[in-house]
Amino acid sequence: MANYILRRLAQAIPQLFIISVILFALMQGFGDPVATLGARTPPRQEDKERLRRMLGLDQPMYVQYLVWLIGNDWMKLDMDGDGVPETPGQRKGILRGDFGNSLVTRRPVLEMIADRLPNTLLLMLTAEAVIIVASLAIGIYSAARQYSLADNVITAFSFIGFSMPVFWLALTLMYIFAVNFKRWGLPYLPTVGMFDPAVGKTAGELARHLVLPVATLAIISIAGYSRFVRSSMLEVLNQDYIRTARAKGLTRSQALWRHALQNAALPFITIIGLDLPFLLAGAVVTERIFAWPGMGRLFIDHTERSDYPVLMGILMLIAAAVVVFQIITDVFYSFLDPRIRLA
Amino acid sequence: MMKRLSRLSTTLSALAALSLALAACAPAATPTAAPQPTQPAGATQGPAPTSAPAPTSVPAPSFSGTAKITFTQEPDNLNPYYSSMFFSQITTQFWLKGLWSFDDAGNVIPDLAAEIPSAANGGVSADGKTITLKLSPDVTWSDGTPVTADDLVFTYDMIMADGNVVQSRYPYEDYVAGVEAPDAQTVVVTFSEPFAAWQTTLFKWVLPKHILQPVFDQAGTIDQADWNRAPTVGAGPFVFDEWESGSHLSFRANPNWVHPPKLEQIFIQIVPDDAAQEAAIIAGDTDIGVFLSSDQIEKLEAGGNVEVVAVPSGYSEAWFLNVNPDTAHPAMLDVNVRKAIALATDRFTIVNDLLVSTINPVNANFWDSNPPFGAADLAPYPYDPEQAKQLLEAAGWTDSDGDGIRDKVIDGEKVDLQLRYITNDRELRKNVQAVVQQQWQLVGIAADLQNYSSDVFWNGYNDGGPQAQGLYDIAEYSSTPNSFPDPDSSDNWLCSAISSADNPDGLNWQGYCNPQMDELLKQQAVTLDAAARLQLYQDIQTLMYDEVIYIGLWHDPDLWSINSRLKNVRLSGASQFWNADQWEVTP
Repeated sequence: MANYILRRLAQAIPQLFIISVILFALMQGFGDPVATLGARTPPRQEDKERLRRMLGLDQPMYVQYLVWLIGNDWMKLDMDGDGVPETPGQRKGILRGDFGNSLVTRRPVLEMIADRLPNTLLLMLTAEAVIIVASLAIGIYSAARQYSLADNVITAFSFIGFSMPVFWLALTLMYIFAVNFKRWGLPYLPTVGMFDPAVGKTAGELARHLVLPVATLAIISIAGYSRFVRSSMLEVLNQDYIRTARAKGLTRSQALWRHALQNAALPFITIIGLDLPFLLAGAVVTERIFAWPGMGRLFIDHTERSDYPVLMGILMLIAAAVVVFQIITDVFYSFLDPRIRLA
Repeated sequence: MMKRLSRLSTTLSALAALSLALAACAPAATPTAAPQPTQPAGATQGPAPTSAPAPTSVPAPSFSGTAKITFTQEPDNLNPYYSSMFFSQITTQFWLKGLWSFDDAGNVIPDLAAEIPSAANGGVSADGKTITLKLSPDVTWSDGTPVTADDLVFTYDMIMADGNVVQSRYPYEDYVAGVEAPDAQTVVVTFSEPFAAWQTTLFKWVLPKHILQPVFDQAGTIDQADWNRAPTVGAGPFVFDEWESGSHLSFRANPNWVHPPKLEQIFIQIVPDDAAQEAAIIAGDTDIGVFLSSDQIEKLEAGGNVEVVAVPSGYSEAWFLNVNPDTAHPAMLDVNVRKAIALATDRFTIVNDLLVSTINPVNANFWDSNPPFGAADLAPYPYDPEQAKQLLEAAGWTDSDGDGIRDKVIDGEKVDLQLRYITNDRELRKNVQAVVQQQWQLVGIAADLQNYSSDVFWNGYNDGGPQAQGLYDIAEYSSTPNSFPDPDSSDNWLCSAISSADNPDGLNWQGYCNPQMDELLKQQAVTLDAAARLQLYQDIQTLMYDEVIYIGLWHDPDLWSINSRLKNVRLSGASQFWNADQWEVTP
């Protein structure tokens, strides 16, 4: 097993290297980071030229990639604009753990990611836990009672849930539970943010502010995932060994829980395993609408500004997470189902 | 089997436990004390560790209440020299005052300065090349250190230092020859040539030398200074408290400021989505919001608790016409065709239907939102499709093939009068495009409507920017002169600034070149006599108006919502929160 994991990790190194080259090349197609600098109109010509030089954006792409990869502390930079490099570089490069600095905030990319990651994980893991529990419960329930009234109602709601656009669902929930409930004098939820400044950042405030974004994320995913659980359960329930189990004298629920669910859970775990690395990426639309300070917003804000060091940092992090979680999922597989052997 | 099931549930509960654990240890940018609703000033919770100011018997001021503000974008950086974003710059009014502010009536109010330099008080030399600034002896940094002339000299040095990647060196790079401090309260600024717009642009912010000099000495740059992100020492009615990335910024009352505030806290929430900001304003979850559009006013004011105010800050929505012979449609090079375009467009109906005509009247000139620099005698071209048709006929554009679109034979080839009308992808602008397309149809002009995402729209020549490369005939956007309230405009019509492969960073994207305009623009920058300068602006605008290179659409003031809970808010276009020390909340 240890051998297997080591081999997979060794394979990941060239994989990540190739990914980084491709991503970096794609970044060049983005806009010009100094086109507006976040202002409403472009900066002066002199400032544009100076900033491009000082930030190293006037260098050819392969030089910029090299600096990103191995740093620039081995070369000198032309900061005063006289055409002669004089200032030693300070960057160490991603291979030595330096993700570079944002072109927009000038802060180290790693720090910026570290600021947002806990918020995103709080939101996404809560949502994912709700999604897993609820889709298992709903999926199993409707599979066990196929074509019953409850199953049909659940099916109908699943399709409605699945086809709702995220932004629409988010704003609708916000208007119902935050704006109108307050207006009608009912107990209401907050519209945006993580806490009320008058109360402070307490666990209770965080929980209150989590309700709507988690509900938004969960409703749509539950709709899809519960269908998935239902159909894999149905498939298993029609297998011979379930009939055997029942014939042996097991009750319906014993057969369902002990035999069917175990086997039906495997494909579901594959899906969850594929989901997990992307939890790091956050949820762009939901985070934006509920003003949740997560990774999705960091990514989209800096995409709009063509801030490639931040984008590279986030994307490489996710790429690495995908590789790692795939290995974990595979290992977890064999742990859950001894018939699967890794070699 | 049961064992495996329990493994599954163990994993699930571990996941749930992890998320609960995360909820418990909430992250924050700076470790600060828990928020306190009201506190006696001074003693325990002083923002900076070094201070022990004002040990007098004057009763300590008391602060109460929080003003909640929503920003749709997060500031890049709190050091205003490192960000040209609107939201970075307006935030400084709370915690980092400059020499003076402009109030809501356009008056200059001294902040760090003791008086406003003028010829009368000897502050402005006769040749206009020397400004002598007197600092008020009463102002201190929030840690009690006096603000001195050395701080201003240091600020200038930091802006010009090659180690610092500051956003802009304007106007220091272009006009300032030196900044000196003969004594602690006096700063002498010398210009290489007279500089008219000094009052709007000089030392809008001052950096604390005693905090940043050691950083610069050690690192050779202040790019990465902690102060840029957590400026715990400032000079304003409030002082930085904390900034949690993507979530909020908080500022608390500064008892050491010359005019201590009434509020205890300013809390700025980052709400990137416009619709969510609207909901937060209606729900009363925020007291102040900005970047609203005219069509939101009715909805926001419906509850009776919110007032929307329009604050001009120099912006006007307009058409910028491409007259570059290398890239524009051949018809665009004919001034009569350009005039016909203005006459063929019913801007008055557009403003009435899509905006609020009292807030967004049609403007004629680039400087109309910069009083007194706008030329009042130049009215917008009227809506006159008949005259437009006559002008087009006279210019040789006729509908020879009867397809409804005028055409003309140029160099033996039939060219249709189809113009590329580009803008970004904002909904309002798309609606305007659609209306204009119909209006032009009536006079036989076809519109090829194109929309770009904002980042592409503003790209430079080398990055395929559609404006910079001249891939358009008419470009619509909201724009402002270089600075406000003094416009010190603008390089965008200089012959030398025309963008091209040889001059990719040039900002003259209209390709307009007229030596007379070059001369007028250069003159206005160095003419100190107010009346003579206004005359120059009059001449510039008359030229632009007659040449029809700019067609105004509407005045575009900033729309702010203010909740009635918050009192005494008087926003200005140049120094938005200039009177934040007087703000109060009703309990």
